Amino acid sequence: MKTGITRRKLIQGTALTAGAAAVFGPWKFNRVYAAATDKPILIGLTHDASGQFANSGQAEKRGTIMAIEEANAAGGVLGRKVEYIWADTETTPATGSRVAERFITRDNVAFMVGAIQSGTANAISQVCQKYGVVYFNTNSSSPTESAKNCHRVKFVWDGSGANFAKAAAAGAVDKFGKNWILLTNDYVWGHNTSKATAEILGKLGGTVMENILVPVGTRDYSSILLKLQQAKPDVVATAVGGDDYKALRQQVQDLKLDTKMAWLSNQLDWPDIYGAGSEAAFGVFGATWYHYLDLPGVADFVKRYQTRWPDTRIDVPGNVTYNGYVAMRELLRAVEDAGSTNNISVIKQLEGRVMKAADRMQHHDAVIDPNSHHVQQTIYLATRQDKPRDDTDYFKIVNVMAPETVRIASESECHLESYADTPTYEM
Amino acid sequence: MDFLFNLLPHLVNGIALGLLFALIALGFMLIIGVMEVINLAHGSLFALGAYMALVIVTPEGGLDAPFLEPWFGIGIIPRYIAALVIAPVIVGVFGMGLELCLRRTYGKDPLYGLLLTFGAALVIEEGIRIIWGHGEYVLPVPKGIRGGFIFADLIWSYYRFFAAAFSIVMIGALWCFIEKTPYGAIIKAGAHDNEMVRALGINLPKLRLFVFAIGTALAAIAGIIMAPIWGIRPQVGVDAVVPAFVIIVLGGIGSFWGAVIAGLMVGMIVGLTAAYYSDWSLLSMYLLLLAVVTFRARGLMGKVSVLER
Amino acid sequence: MRHMIAITSNWFTPQMLVAFAIFGTLPLWLEGVGLYSYIGLEVLIWIIFALGFNLLLGYTGLPSFGHGAFLGIGGYAMGWFQINVAPNLWLGLLFAIAITALFGAAVALFISHRRGIYFALLTLAFGQVFFFVASKWTTLTGGEDGMLNIARLPADFGFVSFSLQHNYALYYFTFAVFVVTVLVLWRLVNSPFGKVIKAIKQNEMRVGFLGYNVYFFKWAVFTISCAVTGLAGGLFAMAQEGAYVQVMSLQWSGIIVLMTLIGGGFVSFWGALIGTVVYYLARDILGTFTETWLLWYGLMFMLVVMFKPEGIAGMWQDGVAYLNRRRGAGIPPVAVEPARE
Repeated sequence: MKTGITRRKLIQGTALTAGAAAVFGPWKFNRVYAAATDKPILIGLTHDASGQFANSGQAEKRGTIMAIEEANAAGGVLGRKVEYIWADTETTPATGSRVAERFITRDNVAFMVGAIQSGTANAISQVCQKYGVVYFNTNSSSPTESAKNCHRVKFVWDGSGANFAKAAAAGAVDKFGKNWILLTNDYVWGHNTSKATAEILGKLGGTVMENILVPVGTRDYSSILLKLQQAKPDVVATAVGGDDYKALRQQVQDLKLDTKMAWLSNQLDWPDIYGAGSEAAFGVFGATWYHYLDLPGVADFVKRYQTRWPDTRIDVPGNVTYNGYVAMRELLRAVEDAGSTNNISVIKQLEGRVMKAADRMQHHDAVIDPNSHHVQQTIYLATRQDKPRDDTDYFKIVNVMAPETVRIASESECHLESYADTPTYEM
Repeated sequence: MDFLFNLLPHLVNGIALGLLFALIALGFMLIIGVMEVINLAHGSLFALGAYMALVIVTPEGGLDAPFLEPWFGIGIIPRYIAALVIAPVIVGVFGMGLELCLRRTYGKDPLYGLLLTFGAALVIEEGIRIIWGHGEYVLPVPKGIRGGFIFADLIWSYYRFFAAAFSIVMIGALWCFIEKTPYGAIIKAGAHDNEMVRALGINLPKLRLFVFAIGTALAAIAGIIMAPIWGIRPQVGVDAVVPAFVIIVLGGIGSFWGAVIAGLMVGMIVGLTAAYYSDWSLLSMYLLLLAVVTFRARGLMGKVSVLER
Repeated sequence: MRHMIAITSNWFTPQMLVAFAIFGTLPLWLEGVGLYSYIGLEVLIWIIFALGFNLLLGYTGLPSFGHGAFLGIGGYAMGWFQINVAPNLWLGLLFAIAITALFGAAVALFISHRRGIYFALLTLAFGQVFFFVASKWTTLTGGEDGMLNIARLPADFGFVSFSLQHNYALYYFTFAVFVVTVLVLWRLVNSPFGKVIKAIKQNEMRVGFLGYNVYFFKWAVFTISCAVTGLAGGLFAMAQEGAYVQVMSLQWSGIIVLMTLIGGGFVSFWGALIGTVVYYLARDILGTFTETWLLWYGLMFMLVVMFKPEGIAGMWQDGVAYLNRRRGAGIPPVAVEPARE
């Protein structure tokens, strides 16, 4: 049976294609639907449920959902109910891209919130910038998030690795010494954080004896620990996260190396450490918040968390949940203040926005830097709590750093897209 | 001289790793010997063994029911021993299940068997992910063998010594079983000449089931012992199949001691690479595979391998 | 091996036209069925990938368990060229094809004299090696974070230029590439070259005895397969606006094998296409009901291998043959398989 392609069929086919092309071009991105006041505000949540940061992903989801529910209980935002859809971004940038595309083009979300791994956050923010959707990066702390990889629609809510390094460095050099070894998790967050640490150390007159790379997924640190044992640095500064950090800490303590040299652990995420006992908090580390801060509102927040999430393994909220909560809460407030969900108006509400200390449950006011969209906030330095109040009390806060003292200069590398280049988006 | 001295703990680590690899490889080899099938699911069963042990030893593994609390209350040593016995049995049952699935592919192009075990590997790994999640678990081990100690200004690991000793015992037991018992003789015969074994009236399907059960149980035991070294994650299986294959190729299919010696070699290479270029240590296994297959497909002591069919 | 794909000298076949019609009109009906533009784009790109992959698996019988690595290489090549040499769509894609084909040719040099398990494990090892190197070489690839800001360059024909920014614009460009790829591959597998590789699948040794240089043919088909994969990779990088390393992992390399086989790659040119569509449907539809969909997909794969390695296309062919037999009653069935596809 021979099927020829007749000329007629060819012409018909071409006409069909040309017709389709006419329907679909010119393609613009202005997606504006009449803001119906009874249509709910849909927020796309991209919290990981799998991969290296699964625990943290679920923790920040608890925070963002709490904020949404509190807003709804108070009457919604702009008179509209706030709803959310969530998808697992699997700690993978490609999945992040795909989820973002789906949420925006199919589900027509108004805003996007979430992410821990900086690669995933970057991928999501690229897609969001393309369509003009405001995106809150709740828990990525790679310094490049608000520098090289900043976007007009993107707002970064966690302290960056550089902030934490700066917070800890001066004190550490004075107290322990100038010769440091860096342990760097071999991926972008690790590299950027260690680079920032090295720069800060250099300015303080210290030296980096060696920068040891820790591949993601390392479970056996004996060779690395052997090197440390033989090199005898004053300080070991780690930029190691997630499960890798848990394994490292366990082995360091088994060998009692935590008493032989000073350990600087950048930022500790509460889900990574909870359950391991307070011995798990070793060295000096940073955090954006702690559940035993002696500030108004903290105890109440903890109680609300426990009432809302009685079944979760993590009995008290930590920095990851906190970041999710305050970010979502501020987003909804900004929308209320803007009077609409129009992306440009909301962005303008956020740039330069000051958030009061008491409201944020931190010691100092926080501000969203208009040039980098990075939240400049209080950084706490802590060590292990030697007199715990109960079995959730792991940290002893040893220093409270105001945002200006830990601000990072390299954020001037950030070049936000102009308003004109950012498509209008309103759902 | 100092450099060599510092190498000692890494050598011990390498030997322990090597003996464990040899154990995996031996299980792998038993199956190939009798089955002519490359069991790509061997790694996933290795991982499953570790997870089963987790379930038995700690409530975190999933058995969180109140009526089981007394079990988790008894000391860790009996629980750990129970895990070492029960988990391989469970995995052996899975192994037998896999053999039953494979029966449909016998006699056909070996490509089908390969694809089937590949699919099985993915299914097992995905099943693990669904039940236990993506995250990492830590297998609690008895205090006596946990952690490290500093001796002569070097860091040594108690656990590696234990792992090495245990592997030596297992390898010895396996050797005795194969050489000294009638069952072992049947297995060797089956590996050598299927037809003859059947002609002699031995039930070949039952033999295959049995061999699969033992081979996969060995993988499970290796998985349990490796758990504190490699961590318990769903993807840990992939990294287990490759050294097994490298060892088989290096040591030759039919050779027991070839596998052991090759195992030690592979273990040393991975262990020493881990010492100096820790990021490259897993990669070194793959590079080793490439080198070995390219240059020495027959192995150090082997005959023409059934793999070359 | 029993399963053979028949030869024809037609340039076009009914199946081809149906495929063109369905995918050509996709943007018109996609959102009506509850899907979204990006997934249409992703599916078409993966179909191109699967067609290239099936040259190896379905036609030549060579299982490659590391092919995801080449998809990644194509993506990185496209991105690198755009950022470091020139932002030109045509040259970028050509570069992606060339680089991936080069890597493929190099790997094929090592593995072409092998078959079966050795071949498979070598491809697995190479795939893992490339994956590791890509993850480590962060200055080139961006590591786990990937290579960002890859732009969807305009299709510039000199006298007219189309922007490919919108998902559907890029989709139509990809569709054009798809049409060309299908035509080229179709001719290839129905040419003398195609006959030889099918013979190799059946019995490699005999082909050698017949005087063909089996090593060369295996090397060539692997390289061509990688070239097509590189093309898909370049398109994928534009679709994602980034090149990411995870696709080079074993899990993704495995998924393309599953896809192609379930679809019926062993017996049909279109098996690869069917398999890709089935996978994405399974993921997006089953995935909304259960998080365990990949497990079911894997089990389905195992059942297919055990009971019906010819896959979906094979079941279709059986159905057609059954109907033909009933219609052509009285004529004894011919021993040789009737011309299909």
